[in-house]
Amino acid sequence: MNSFHFDWGGVLTGSPAAWLVAGLVNTILITVTGTFVASLLAIVLLLGRTSSAHYARYLAQAIVMGFRNTPLLVQLFFWYFAVYPALPEWFRDWVIADHWFSPLPFGFRCISPEFVCACLGLSWFTGAFLAEELRAGLKAVPLAQSEAALTQGFSHWKTFRYILLPQAMRNAWQPIVGQYLNLMKLSSLASSIGFAEIIYSTREIESFNAHAIEAYAVGTLLYLILGLLMGQLFVSFGPGQIKRNNVVARVALSGFLHRLRFLS
Amino acid sequence: MSFSHANIAVEFRHLSKSYGDFSALKNIDLKIAAGEVVVVCGPSGSGKSTLIRTINRLESYDQGDILVSGQSTRSLRGRDLQQLRTGIGFVFQQFNLYAHLTARDNITIALVQVLGLSKRVAEERADVLLEKVGLPDKGDHFPSQLSGGQQQRVAIARTLAMEPSIILFDEPTSALDPEMIGEVLNVIRQLAHTGITMVVVTHEMGFARELADRIVFMDQGEVLEVASPEQFFSQAQHPRAQRFLQQILPSHSSATS
Repeated sequence: MNSFHFDWGGVLTGSPAAWLVAGLVNTILITVTGTFVASLLAIVLLLGRTSSAHYARYLAQAIVMGFRNTPLLVQLFFWYFAVYPALPEWFRDWVIADHWFSPLPFGFRCISPEFVCACLGLSWFTGAFLAEELRAGLKAVPLAQSEAALTQGFSHWKTFRYILLPQAMRNAWQPIVGQYLNLMKLSSLASSIGFAEIIYSTREIESFNAHAIEAYAVGTLLYLILGLLMGQLFVSFGPGQIKRNNVVARVALSGFLHRLRFLS
Repeated sequence: MSFSHANIAVEFRHLSKSYGDFSALKNIDLKIAAGEVVVVCGPSGSGKSTLIRTINRLESYDQGDILVSGQSTRSLRGRDLQQLRTGIGFVFQQFNLYAHLTARDNITIALVQVLGLSKRVAEERADVLLEKVGLPDKGDHFPSQLSGGQQQRVAIARTLAMEPSIILFDEPTSALDPEMIGEVLNVIRQLAHTGITMVVVTHEMGFARELADRIVFMDQGEVLEVASPEQFFSQAQHPRAQRFLQQILPSHSSATS
C-alpha cells in the first residue's frame, strides 16, 4: 500500500483530460445560467413574499419553505423523473434537437434534458434561499427610504427597483455571494441525473483507468479555483463597491501613468 | 396678504383622523394661498407632522378632504396620486437621503425615473442645485460621508429639482446639531417668497417670526389659532398658545420638542 504513486498523466492527458475540460465547461455553464435564473426567481419570490395580496404571500412562502427544506438531490430527481417527462413534447424536442450553440468540444452538448433539469433544480433551490437573504436585507432598509421615494412620485415598483432592492442587496451581499458559491458547488449533485459536469467526469475517469484519487484531486482543485474566482468577482463588482473601486482604479491608473512618464 | 383673492394652493376641509378613540386631527379647516409661507407650531404630539403628511397622503385620513390647487385629492389612487406627490416636495426631519446613492444621484434618480429626463439634463440640474445649496463639491459623496446639515441641504436640493409648487418641511432642523441649523435655515430662507408655497413645521420661532406670512398653532389635533407672526408672538389669543409661547420663548430652547 505504501508504494502508491500519483500518476497525473492518467488524468491530465488523452480522454480523461478532455472529459475534465468538458466537465469544467459544463460546470461553468450551469453556474452562470443557474445564477441568472435563480436571481430572477428570487426577485419574483421576494415580491410574492412581501406582496400585500395574501394569496401571493402564502404561495411564495409555501414555495420557499418547500425548496429550502427538502434535499436538493431529491429535488433534482423530482425535476428529472417527474416534471421533465410531463413537459410539452415540442419543448422536449427542442431540447434534444441540434442547435448552432449545442455542440461542445469532445462530443458533449451544452443543452440536454439533464442540463434543463439541473438548471431548474439549482435555480429553484438557490432562488428560495436568495429570496430569504434578500428579504432579510430588505427588512434592514428603514421605512423612511420608501417614504422618501413615494413623496417624490415613485411608483411602488420603481421604489422597490431603484431604492429598496439595491439597498437590500447591499445589506445582504455577503450571504448572497455565499448562495451563489453554493450553487456552483451543489452543481456537482447534478451528476446524479447524468449531467456531465466536473464530478461526472471524475467518475468517468475512475471507471476508465481507476485514477480516482488523482481525478478527484484535480476536480476539487477546479472547484476551488472557480470558487475563489467567483467570490472575488462578486465581491469586487458587488453593489456599492463599483463607485469606490472606480475611484481606486482611477487613482491607481493615474499613479501608474505618472510613473511611466517619469521613467520615459 | 389679500387672501380671499389669491389662488389657494392647499385647502383643508373638515379634515379628521383618529386612531381608535384618539383623535389625531379634529375637523381641520384651513386655506393656504399659493406662494405663502405658513409655519405650523405647537407642542409635541399636537398633530403638526400628521397634518402636513396628509397633504401628500403619506398619512391617510378618515373624514374631510384636501384640495390642492382647487382639486379634491381624497380619492386619488395609483398614477394620479403619484402625480400629486411629484408636484409636492417633502423635506424630512431625518433627511432620508437614499443611502446607496451619491448626493448627485440622490437628486437625479427621480428626475430620470419619475420625470423621464435624460441622465445628462438631470445631472446638469443637480449640479446647479448643489451649487445653490452651497455644496458644489459634494456631488460624489455618499450621505454617510456628509454632515447632518449637508445631508439636509442635499435633501432640499433633491426636492427643488422636481420643481414643486408646494414644499412641506417636517421639522427640517430638529435633528441637527446647533451649529448646523443656520446653514439649513439659510437655504430655506432663500426659497421663501419665490412663488413656492411652503408649509413648515418647526420649533425655530426666530425663523417663524422672520419669514412666516402666517402662523398656525395646533394642540391636541386642533388648529387653535391662525395669525400673523406679529400678532401671534405679541398677543396670542388662545390660552394654550400663550402657555406654549411662555414655555418656548424666554429660554429660546427647543427642549419642548
